[in-house]
Amino acid sequence: MHPRWLPVKSRLLAVTLVAAALLSSAVVAGCGRSASGATDQLTVTGSTTVLPIAEVAAEDFMTANPGKSVLVAGVGSSAGIESVSSGTSDIGTSSRDLKPEEAGLGLVDTKIALDAIAVIVNPSNPVDSLTTSQVADIFEGKIRNWKEVGGLDQEIGLVNRDEASGTREAFTKIVLGGGDFDPTAAVLPGTGQVRSVVAQSPTAIGYISLGFVESKFTKERVKALVIDGIAPDENTVAAGTYPISRVLHFFTKGEPTGLTKEYIDFVLSSKIQDEVVRDAGFLPISAGVK
Amino acid sequence: MDTGSDLTGRDVAPDMCADDGEAMRAPEPPRKSTGLTKITRATYLKEAALQNLFLLCACVAVAGVALIFIFVGLKGWPIFAKIGLLEFLGGATWYPTKEHFGILPLIINSLLAMSGALLLGAPLAVGTAVFLSEVASPKARSIVRPAVELLAGIPSVVYGFFGLVLLRPIIAGLFGGLGFGLLTVWLILAVMIVPTIATLTEDALRSVPEGIREASYSMGATKWQTIWRVLLPAAKIGIIDAVILGMGRAIGETMAVVMVAGNARVIPDGILKPFLTLTTVIVMDMPYASGDHRTALFGVAIVLFIISMLFVAAIRVISRFGKGMS
Amino acid sequence: MQSRERISKTFTNRVALGVIWLAAIGTVGALGTILLYVIVNGIGQITPAFIFTYPKGVNMEGGIWPTIQATLYVTGLAMLITTPVAVLAAVYLAEYAVQGRLVRIIRFAADSLASVPSIVMGLFGLAAFVEGIGLGFSVLAAALALSFLLLPIIVRTTEEAIRAVPKYIRWGSYGLGASKWQTVSKIVLPSALPRITTGVILAAGRAAGETAVVIYTMGTMIYAPVSPLDPGRTMPVHLMLMSQEGINLPAAYGTALMLVLLVLGFNLAARWIGRRNRRMQG
Repeated sequence: MHPRWLPVKSRLLAVTLVAAALLSSAVVAGCGRSASGATDQLTVTGSTTVLPIAEVAAEDFMTANPGKSVLVAGVGSSAGIESVSSGTSDIGTSSRDLKPEEAGLGLVDTKIALDAIAVIVNPSNPVDSLTTSQVADIFEGKIRNWKEVGGLDQEIGLVNRDEASGTREAFTKIVLGGGDFDPTAAVLPGTGQVRSVVAQSPTAIGYISLGFVESKFTKERVKALVIDGIAPDENTVAAGTYPISRVLHFFTKGEPTGLTKEYIDFVLSSKIQDEVVRDAGFLPISAGVK
Repeated sequence: MDTGSDLTGRDVAPDMCADDGEAMRAPEPPRKSTGLTKITRATYLKEAALQNLFLLCACVAVAGVALIFIFVGLKGWPIFAKIGLLEFLGGATWYPTKEHFGILPLIINSLLAMSGALLLGAPLAVGTAVFLSEVASPKARSIVRPAVELLAGIPSVVYGFFGLVLLRPIIAGLFGGLGFGLLTVWLILAVMIVPTIATLTEDALRSVPEGIREASYSMGATKWQTIWRVLLPAAKIGIIDAVILGMGRAIGETMAVVMVAGNARVIPDGILKPFLTLTTVIVMDMPYASGDHRTALFGVAIVLFIISMLFVAAIRVISRFGKGMS
Repeated sequence: MQSRERISKTFTNRVALGVIWLAAIGTVGALGTILLYVIVNGIGQITPAFIFTYPKGVNMEGGIWPTIQATLYVTGLAMLITTPVAVLAAVYLAEYAVQGRLVRIIRFAADSLASVPSIVMGLFGLAAFVEGIGLGFSVLAAALALSFLLLPIIVRTTEEAIRAVPKYIRWGSYGLGASKWQTVSKIVLPSALPRITTGVILAAGRAAGETAVVIYTMGTMIYAPVSPLDPGRTMPVHLMLMSQEGINLPAAYGTALMLVLLVLGFNLAARWIGRRNRRMQG
């Protein structure tokens, strides 16, 4: 072979061969890939609202207990309930209570946090308080101008969340009673965006988890409205008087045991409750009486 | 239009596709010129095998298009089967939770977004291209051309992020409302398509022979008259191609749009009202869509793919039409 | 009458040229605004800790290292897969192809691939590689999807590079009795290599900035991928999710700046190679 053979041709061929080898080995491996259960492995699936808590708690849990593994996925409360009752996962997380038809599935409920939804407006907005039905009418598009609820003569800037949002789900159920949102409302995919837009626009109104009304990341401020005469804060939520609130659940099939119990106890420990839960914008379950 | 190079090996800009560059293809090795070259069977087989290998590589592109049609089409097919093509494309309500899968408002919104972006961006781009090709001093060129290339390289998320954190509040402050809507989208998209249109327009202008400019000046025309009455018409086909490519880019853009459009599933009744497009509906709904909804999203993807292929076909048709004329 | 016409001609000329200058200034201004805004707001975030540590907590405080690793990994793998195929395809189109139906189809297909909206490519990757072949969310699935996106780009630039090699060089080679492939591999390609490399580097920049393709093929999990079958979150995906959540904006700015720096780096590298090549050619 010519020693000067090396350049372009064989380089290209070599690269092609490497790529082909990678590809075929991956295909073979991919076809054979399946989730084989490690014995000390926990699967947690469900609500995207609960996901941040579950994920960070899982990380901390695995750091504290090497050798044990917790896999967390966020697909939705309904999917989570379904997968835990069918045995696909060990824990199903949910941001909603069980539906009547789900009552007979043999699921045990562990409450892990409280979530209150604050209705927020710009701090410069003269409106301070609304009733639940006014809020519903605003978000359904029936009330379109602030003057109809005692504010300035300005068109209401309606800010909604995306349909994947657990907060939106809860808001629909609790406030709208299953009604439809105004389709012309802006649909934003994240809490921070809703907060930011409301903080910057005098006519805006939106809803976010109470824990995010105050933020350490930005100087922008929003105002949480008094609903039906109850101001949203930890006490009213814990007492159950603030109307727009819900519980976050871990569901298990039967009483939790073994690794499942260890993880749940870990999530209920004060460290996780005071740091992770609050960071995620929720309230520790210990603050509540529900 | 011969875009051949000369013996100094100067840079050649290929046409937008219709010409397969016959002029540039290397000549075949000499056959029996001196009788010294004996092509052995082994060499011949090797050469043929190599050629076929290269052909295979080239056909990967065709395979790609076919695969996209197959995989995305198969996943999206059930929705067409279920509600019919007409109902899908022409249905006036997109409300998946209530089983409404009409994407007409999305199509209209995509077209609205694209049109405004084009109206704002094309003149800006063509002006920049004219600047680079005809007006700029080498020093100015050394600033503007890299700027255009850099604009092309900025990822669309960064554009969207910029739109979200800076542009939206400014628009909201100036015009009231939330700042989401067509106006903001137009501004961001216009800047995004400038590099696409400008680079191709500059190529088109550069391939107009120098002699034509000299002839125009020698007749007493000013620079602007030359540009407006001679050069731009001469480069017309290339510019149209560039603009169509920009249109394709604008209508296919997702990340930048989703952050500033507001994503309301209706046709907006103003340029400051939120709206949803063919591309943003996919990125907003995909995370949670299941069943028919998910199938419908794949259906939207196929529609987008066909639209982009139509743009490519349009460019070919126009180029061939233009060739016929010149 | 004549003098009036002449004045109007010069006047229009000046105004028009002014407008053209404005267009160029507008373009540069747009770039400058974006870059400046990202730099000013993000520069405070760029510390060694930010670059090399992991994100912590619910709101991704801390660093972005796994996203950097994921971005580099998927970009590298995508280039590895695409480049040989694209270069050989370009060789075919530039050197061997005969004007005809097949070549027209190939070119149409290449142009179609180039204009596919990236979100369509993302869904394709999801349907074909993540679910179809069964790779799951992985670097490999993302790289494969990306490679279809990059293929037409590299084919185009490589073809341009090959065509730019002057004819007389090939004539010399054939005159010495070289076969076609010998000419291509030993004379033409090496001569075109700098331009090809420039094109490849620019394509890599494009791959690094892709979001829609990667999010449906590689997933969104914070993970520093080691094997090609591992999932991961790249920088653009991280930026998108951070802006969506909108809570930890400082980290978002930092990510945006890192991403811009990365792409700028690719751009500068490509430009430097181009300049060195031109200098060598005299």
